[in-house]
Amino acid sequence: MSTQKEKDRLELLQGTLDLLILRTLIFGPQHGQGIGRAIQQTTEDELLVEHGALYPALQRLEERGWIAAEWGTSTNNRKARFYTLTRLGRKQLVRETTKWRRLAAAIGRVLGPEAGEG
Amino acid sequence: MFWRKRKPSDFRAEIEAHLELETEQLKEQGLSEEEARVAARHAFGNVTRAQERFYESGRWLWWDHLVQDLHFGLRMLRKNPGFTAVAILTLAIGIGANTAIFSLIDAVMLRMLPVPRPDELRLVRIFQPGDTGEGNPTFTNPIWEQVRDRQGVFSGVFAWSGDRFDLAQGGAVHYANGLWVSGDFFKTLELRPAAGRLLTAADDQRGCSGAAVLSYGFWQEHYGGAASALGITLSLDTHSFEVVGVAPPSFYGMDVGSKFDVAIPICAAAQFDGKESRLDHRSWWWLTVAGRPKPGVSMNQLAAGLRVLSPQVFTASQPTNWPPDMQKKFLRWVLVATPAATGMSSLRRQFDRPLQMLMAVVGLVLLIACANIASLMLARAAARRKDLAVRQALGAGRFRLIRQLLTECVLLSSAGALVGILFARWGTALLVRVISTARNEVFLDLSLDRRVLGFTVAIAVFTSVLFGLLPALRAIRVSLTLAMKGSQATESVRPRRFRSRHWIVASQMALSLVLLVAAGLFLRSFAKLATLDMGFDRNNVLLVGTNLQVARIPPDQQLATYEMIESRLGALPGVLSVGRSKLAPISGYFWNNTIHTDWSKALSGDDALAFFNYVSSGYFQTLHMTLLAGRNFARGDTKAGPRVAVVNETLARRFFPNLNPIGRTFRIDDIGGQPGPPIEVVGLVKDSKYASVREDIPPTAFFPATQISKHTEEDSFELRTGIRPSALVSAVQAAVGDVNKQIPLEFHTLAEQVNDSMVQERMLALLSGFFGALALLLAMIGLYGTLSYLVAQRQTEFGIRMALGAEPGSILRLVMRSVLSVLAIGVVAGIAISLAATRVLQQLLFGLGPRDAVTMVAAVAVLSVVALIAGYLPARRATKVDPMVTLRNE
Repeated sequence: MSTQKEKDRLELLQGTLDLLILRTLIFGPQHGQGIGRAIQQTTEDELLVEHGALYPALQRLEERGWIAAEWGTSTNNRKARFYTLTRLGRKQLVRETTKWRRLAAAIGRVLGPEAGEG
Repeated sequence: MFWRKRKPSDFRAEIEAHLELETEQLKEQGLSEEEARVAARHAFGNVTRAQERFYESGRWLWWDHLVQDLHFGLRMLRKNPGFTAVAILTLAIGIGANTAIFSLIDAVMLRMLPVPRPDELRLVRIFQPGDTGEGNPTFTNPIWEQVRDRQGVFSGVFAWSGDRFDLAQGGAVHYANGLWVSGDFFKTLELRPAAGRLLTAADDQRGCSGAAVLSYGFWQEHYGGAASALGITLSLDTHSFEVVGVAPPSFYGMDVGSKFDVAIPICAAAQFDGKESRLDHRSWWWLTVAGRPKPGVSMNQLAAGLRVLSPQVFTASQPTNWPPDMQKKFLRWVLVATPAATGMSSLRRQFDRPLQMLMAVVGLVLLIACANIASLMLARAAARRKDLAVRQALGAGRFRLIRQLLTECVLLSSAGALVGILFARWGTALLVRVISTARNEVFLDLSLDRRVLGFTVAIAVFTSVLFGLLPALRAIRVSLTLAMKGSQATESVRPRRFRSRHWIVASQMALSLVLLVAAGLFLRSFAKLATLDMGFDRNNVLLVGTNLQVARIPPDQQLATYEMIESRLGALPGVLSVGRSKLAPISGYFWNNTIHTDWSKALSGDDALAFFNYVSSGYFQTLHMTLLAGRNFARGDTKAGPRVAVVNETLARRFFPNLNPIGRTFRIDDIGGQPGPPIEVVGLVKDSKYASVREDIPPTAFFPATQISKHTEEDSFELRTGIRPSALVSAVQAAVGDVNKQIPLEFHTLAEQVNDSMVQERMLALLSGFFGALALLLAMIGLYGTLSYLVAQRQTEFGIRMALGAEPGSILRLVMRSVLSVLAIGVVAGIAISLAATRVLQQLLFGLGPRDAVTMVAAVAVLSVVALIAGYLPARRATKVDPMVTLRNE
């Protein structure tokens, strides 16, 4: 799985991890490991998400009330802490997504068309 | 939120679970158990770091630090029990004094009545157009009945009046605090009985027989809270009342400062009053009226409703015997409403300013106490510099260190506050006793409420920041290398520390001086009052109050009864002479009217006012009032003879300027403003105080008791005694009992009566003196401590100086010079503050101005002498330094 060399991966921008977690949870409750996996898969391993960084982030989101957590059992019958998106979290996701899209578009405009890049 | 915090163990479990899941998944992808485990760990990164981040992000860290700080703080305080005890005691005095005065302010001014929704209650007042102020809160019964029957803005309205009733049936009085209440009193206040039932509108009907409700306290005290108390008969001023119920425990009445014992309906006044009952009397002002507005009635609607009501009410209750112009004014009076949530209190007017004054005084005492502790903390911080420097060198953050030091301060002030509350409980009880007098026992609900506790917590926090922050900031601003070397020399490299301590001491001196000046002013004021020439001799005079109406002696026999009693009292062994008067001296009561003479230019208004008394011929001799000219009353001055008077010097001066008053006449205006019959002046008596000690002696005319125009049922006897006045009480009781056993008797000494009228001055003198002395003591401890510290720190320097040949005298001068500079700054600042601040004391002083030079000089002298002594002790120690010892140490 981790065949790709780490130096090739993109470092996460500040604050984007929160957004990715919220986005991932939109498909339903998930535990930390599952969230990590899902991010890696959907970004096709482009992003470097150190699993260890995931948990303080989850903790932070929980404290803000954007996600809620509960211990439960995983598909393969193991104990895990499952996270769900709260209504507040959903709103936050919409806000963040819009913000991120605008930012990406703006930066894209500054950088110009892709062909220009050497 | 705080307590729902996840535990670190839960977080650890989640990480474990993650690693398990990841390993599982990797194994499914074909890795071996061992490879999978390693890969999972690798992908996770640093497990410990994640846990640390969780820990730091949470309030767990905060909590752990707090616990650490508390442990450490307690340890430091235990290590230094002397310092801790002094600091806690100092704070306890400061915080306790503030809490005590504040709880009095709370009880007198701020506390709401203990009834449901007290803030809805509105007091009804009578506003007289053209007057300033909120209006007069007293009513006659006819006005009250009109308001009760005509109003439509209140859902309930009620009236009450405080009184006192004699429980004894003749002989020495035993007063209970009475409360006249209207029928809807308890209903509108929404009170529920503790036993039996409360009075209702059915109890308050004209011609009622007596039903009475006891206060809970009275019920407990006199009947042990027994149900059998219901139905028994109480004798109030010899009238019978059946106890029908008991009021709830928290309800003490509507008047803050007193508590009622027994409440009876207003209608029962008819039994007490005889012919001219206050129920129909149109100028007998005795009731207070309040109500609860109907739901949804705003303040404005209420005011409008009362305004509309006013003409009807006042027309129906018009006092028809008043002069026509006054009746016209009466008809223009308007009813107004003001908030009544805190009840009524005569204490408020009397103690409003004194309490504010005392609050300022104890605030200053607290500041001085804080300064002392700040100064101690500075010294301690200096001693702990090495410790703090090591912690800083090991990576402790500055914020963390400040927090650590402040935690100690908070611990100190919390302990101080706890002990302080105990002091305050004791202090307020004492204070209430100080302001209570024989005639007017003050009762205040002093139970700790949220406001008082909040206040105490607030000042505890405030003080800890005040005395903790500066030393804490100082302590962490040290040079690590110098401090770790542990050299004493660092102190003299940084003389700034001395300077800040000097400023602290100087400001303590200044504040102490302000308090000393205030104390001096009040003490001198009280001394002036206490030694004032009253115009009579207050010592060895027993006052005996009577009431013939309660004893049911018909008006036509009252004069004879009084004369019989007077002659019997005069014959008692131990009695030198006896007098009798309608009003006892300094009783607080007065009787006055305007008079006219043909010999002076016509005086009008208050200038023409004279004060009167009916006295027997023994009165002047008994009180040692010198007759200056003319004659005393004689046997011939009877109702049949011409009316005569003895006047005082002030009356003679004002109404008969530059004339011999003997033989002149004056007339008293009657209630309709018409001059009465001529009264001839037959004697001139020396000026004496009339109703109160503080008054300017008013123009006074004494009339012979034998010529009293109407009935006289509440005369007072004055007995000049050769023995202790109180020793005569039982003999007087027996003598009066021989005449009539039903006559109630009330005993006071004249000295007591005079002292009781100085209660406010006595309280201020006592308390400001106490706090002034306390402030001085604290400031001197501060000075002594600071200098001792300074001397100890500069021991080496002094040793070297002496080794080089300095005389002990020059060392002494060196230290005393800093005492003098501190003192000088303190005195100058103190005088400046005093001059600016004492102006507010003007109203509370008697016989001297707030800038009284004698007081200022005395206060400065006291402060200087005490400061020099407090400074001399450590200074002398400096001269005892042995140069050899110090040089060897270095």
